This record gives sequence, C-alpha cells and structure tokens, in this order.
Amino acid sequence: MTGYLYEKDLRQMKYTILTSTRHDEAVRAIARRIGMTDAKLRMAMIRRFDMSLLENLESRWEMGQQYADRDDPVAAELGCELFTRFVPLVDTETMQSIYTETTAMIGNGSPRVEALARGKEQVREAVLS
Amino acid sequence: MKKTVDVSIPLGPVHPCWKEPVRLKCETAGERVLRVEVELGYMKKGIERIMRGRPWQEVMFLAERVCGICSVIHNMVFIEAMEKISDIAVPPRAAYLRVIVNELDRMASHILANFSYCYTIEHETLAMYLLNTRETVLDNLERITGSRINTAYMIPGGVRFDLLPEDAAAMLADLVKVEDEMKRHVRIFETGPLIALRSRGIGVMSREEAIEAHTVGPTARASGVPDSDLRLRHPTYRALGFEQITRTEGDNFARVMVRFQEVFQSIDLIRKCIETLPDGPIRGGGLCRAGEATYSGEAPRGELTYSIKTDEYGRVLDIAIRTPSIMNIEACAHSMIRDATSIADVTSTFISSDPCIACNER
Amino acid sequence: MSILQEIKNAVRSRSIHVSYVDVGSCNGCDIEVLACLAPRYDIEQYGIYVHNNPREADVLLVIGSVTPQWVDKLRDIWDKIPEPKVAVAIGNCPISGCVYNRRGTLTEPPAENYIPIAAQVPGCPPRPTEILNAILSVAPLVFKDYEEKQR
Repeated sequence: MTGYLYEKDLRQMKYTILTSTRHDEAVRAIARRIGMTDAKLRMAMIRRFDMSLLENLESRWEMGQQYADRDDPVAAELGCELFTRFVPLVDTETMQSIYTETTAMIGNGSPRVEALARGKEQVREAVLS
Repeated sequence: MKKTVDVSIPLGPVHPCWKEPVRLKCETAGERVLRVEVELGYMKKGIERIMRGRPWQEVMFLAERVCGICSVIHNMVFIEAMEKISDIAVPPRAAYLRVIVNELDRMASHILANFSYCYTIEHETLAMYLLNTRETVLDNLERITGSRINTAYMIPGGVRFDLLPEDAAAMLADLVKVEDEMKRHVRIFETGPLIALRSRGIGVMSREEAIEAHTVGPTARASGVPDSDLRLRHPTYRALGFEQITRTEGDNFARVMVRFQEVFQSIDLIRKCIETLPDGPIRGGGLCRAGEATYSGEAPRGELTYSIKTDEYGRVLDIAIRTPSIMNIEACAHSMIRDATSIADVTSTFISSDPCIACNER
Repeated sequence: MSILQEIKNAVRSRSIHVSYVDVGSCNGCDIEVLACLAPRYDIEQYGIYVHNNPREADVLLVIGSVTPQWVDKLRDIWDKIPEPKVAVAIGNCPISGCVYNRRGTLTEPPAENYIPIAAQVPGCPPRPTEILNAILSVAPLVFKDYEEKQR
C-alpha cells in the first residue's frame, strides 16, 4: 500500500485562500493579463504554488507591476520577469526560449503584433502545462 | 564518492521550535536544502469572513484577535482606517497616548521574537533574560490599558484611558530598568562568539529578493530596503522626529539586531512622548459613516494594511487585511532557507524572520 | 497502597511534562503559556517542563478553536501521548470558540468533540498564573494513585 501518513488534500484550503477579496482581485487581474479564464488560472495556481505563495500573491503581483521588466518593451509585453520571478507561473528556461523566439521573429521582419500574440499564446500554454 | 540521497524532511506542525503550527517540507540533497514548501491551514479561522456585515464595535474586537502578539497595532490601524473614512479628528493627547501604547507593544513583540530566536539556537540563558524583561514591559502596558494582551485601548476619536502622572513616573522608572537590562542583553548577543557562528552569514537575503517578495518590517530593514518603515509617514511619529534603522547584511544576526535597536528606539520615543504630552481631552467623539478606505500602519513585523468598506451605520461591508507575516514568511521560505547549507539552519532562519502564523492566515 | 505506587506518586508530582498545541487561536494564549517560562512565574520550580513534544508529555494544553487541518490531527496527537495523560483547554477558544464561533467561520469548536478535556481555563487570554494554577491543580488529581485506580 502506498499512502501518505500525514499528507492531506490541500486543494480546498488553497481555494479558500484564493477567494478572499484582495486575492480574488489579483487573480482576475493576472488572468486578464495572460488572457485566460479565471477558473483555469486558479487551477494552475493551486497546482503550482504552495500555500504561503498563494497568500502572498497579491503583494507580489503589486511589486511585479512596479519593478518587473522596466527596460525591455518586448519582455514587458510577455511578462518575462513578472511571470518567472514575481509570480512564478512559468519556469525560467521556458520563458527564456519564448523570449528568444519572439525577438528572433521580430528581428526577421514579421509584424510585431503577430510575434507578440504568438509569444503570449506560448506563455498561456506554458502556464497550463 | 559518497552518494547523496534526496530526502524530503518535514518540520512541524508540532515542533519544539515552532510556537505556532506550520509545516515546512524541505527537499534536501544531503544536508543542502534545495526547496521549501510551506503548508498552512492550521490557523485559518476565516476572520475576514466573520467580520463582514458586523458593526464596527464588534469588528474592533475581532481585529485585535487577528494576532495576539501585535494586537495593539491591529486595533490602531483598524481604528485609524475608520477615522479616515469618517473624518474623525483625534485630540493631540490621544494621538500621543496611542504612540506610547503602540511602542510598548512593539517592544514586547520584538523582545518575544528575539527570545524565540535565542531559544531556537539553544541560548536559553539569554532567552530567559529577555522573557523576564518582556514581563516588565507588559506590566507597563497593563498599567495603562488594564490588560496584558488584547487591550482594545483605541476607539474612533480617541483612547479609552488617560495616563495618570504617577503612572507616567512609574513607567519612566521602569524604562530605565528595561534599557539597562536590554543593553546588557544586546552586549551578550553581539559579542557571543557561538551566537555569531550560528547567526552571521546564515539565511542571507539580498536586497533584490527582499523587494521581489515585498518583505516589510525588520526583515526588509535588515536587508537594507530604504524607506520601508511606515512610521516615517505617520503624522505623530513625524512630529516626534522618527528615523528608520537600516542594516545591510541581511542575515539572521542583522534581523535580530534590527529588532534590538528598535527596542531602544521605542524607549526613546516613549520618553519623548511623555515629555511632550499635550494636555486636553482624550476622547473627541464622532460618528462612523459610509465610505471606503485603505490604510497602512507599521506593525512590529512590518506594514499592515486594512481595506475597509462601510455603510452609513458604520457596519463593515467588506474588509481585507494584509498582514506583514504573509510577505515575510513567503520570502523566508523561498529566499532565505533555499540553498541553506544545513538542515539545522532551517529552524533558526525561519524563526529569525519572526513568523506569526495567526497573522499570516487570519 | 503499595510502596511502588508511593514512589510513583512522589516522582510524578515533581515531574510534569507539558506540551502545547495551537489548534487555531489568535496567538495570545500561546504567548501567555510561553510567559509562564519566564523567571518571574518560573514554571520549572514546580517541576513542570515545557517541551512541546507530545511523545514525552503528561499534560497537553489545547489552545484555540479547531481549524479544518486539526479536525483529524488533534486526535492523532492525543493518541501519541503516553498514559497517564490529561488535556487542559486554555482560553475561551477551545471551550466555546470565543469570537470565532460566528457565521462564516472556518473553525469547528469545541475541542471536547475531539479529545477528552479534563480542565478548562477560561479567559481571553488567561493570565500566566491562572494557567500555572490549572496545571498544578489538575495534574495531582489525575496522576495520583493512577495504577491503583486502574485496577
């Protein structure tokens, strides 16, 4: 038999944390930023984050908007630092490859809007994977 | 070569070092800690849910029961948020009395935090000295407010009790005693070679990481985050000429030392308050009205924010509390403890960030 | 009374090991239990040791109204304490839920539903002296002649 002695299903408690007023606002803002539904983002967060990170989500999001990606417009659009360091939804390597691909596409002469849309689509996929 | 095995070491929820239940799951390679996962939910009482729809007279008492260690500041921030909503003016004497009580509470909290740290690194002698000094501070808190822990001292438009001249004299005499004792304790802590081995250069958090996780209070100030003390923006503290204490090391030693230095600063602030205490009434009165406000104050552990929405009878429609421990515990678990060289440092590093689980989960 | 029992009584009266478990309070009672350690109250002069280790405890101090995580775990902790044992509820929370027992709460008080509570110390929070008094009065009642009473 393989069962954990002390491990408990934390999903309900994590969901309770995410549904308090300020956290709910932060989740909705992040979902709008990435362009996915709230429910899917909540699911991804509950799977990825531990409880203390979920509690801190709101202030990290606030700090991310203030300090992340202040120099590079492409990185700011994709949320390179925002979604790896401040709200770590995507791991650094994946984000780096998405960023390199997008800048390469823009450098090769494809329209900026198209390249960014493709990059954002990849970020969405990375969040859900 | 010796083979290194990956082990997951759970600490808690009942642990001799934790004063409150929390569970840290440390993923280790040999002795090195790779990753820490924090499991909470042991103290989740849903206090924000209870507060909704209740009159401020009830929420006031609920607010200070968010956290028992720093109950005065929870009371103060909630009341000042209500005053901000309803434009209630505070008499100058009441504003000064608030600062006195708040600083006494801060001293008690900081001394308790340093007690916990010394107890965790097994320097029991210093820990017991500190705990005894804390009792003297609590005596003074009790002399003014009538209670040791949950004081409910402040109300919109003033405070409940006045500070009598004989009480003020007794307090000043006690403060001299506390200052003398604390000077000795700080010397023990600062010069102890074994304490330095256990504290210096352990659990280092850089300034960037501190900003990233939005750490606040002594934890941020020990990492050299400037302008992180909200007392700099409070009108009464500004009148008293408050200045922030900052250190740059960012390790366990710096965090404990910042708290020690702030105790002395609090003593000075209280003395200055008693010296310049204006005469006049202590209660101005006023009516709580409808409105919405976000107000922050400096708790012993850092920035405490209340966002309140009230209706015309002063009932709280919606409330959100952001306590300092949320940020500090998160930063501690994901920045300080990560890459710790020994599992033995996990407990002391965790305690050095002064975690308060009751605040964290509300 | 057998001589063995007399020896056990004498030993037990001067060595009470205390463990405390916070099952969701405001922290106020926690620090009042800690304050008992201070030289002013000096809990150790009565032979009481606060170890916070359930496996070697005689007295379990239960603090707080019961939160969802503790609903199953409180019983686990109680089962781990060796006999003879006694649980003392500190503060209003484990007795009634105090301010947390309202509409919308996540807690499920009282603690009595999960483990047998022998003594209750009301107060929000109780003073350290009251906590000390409660431990000192309840421990002899349970531990004296424990083996004789079992027969």
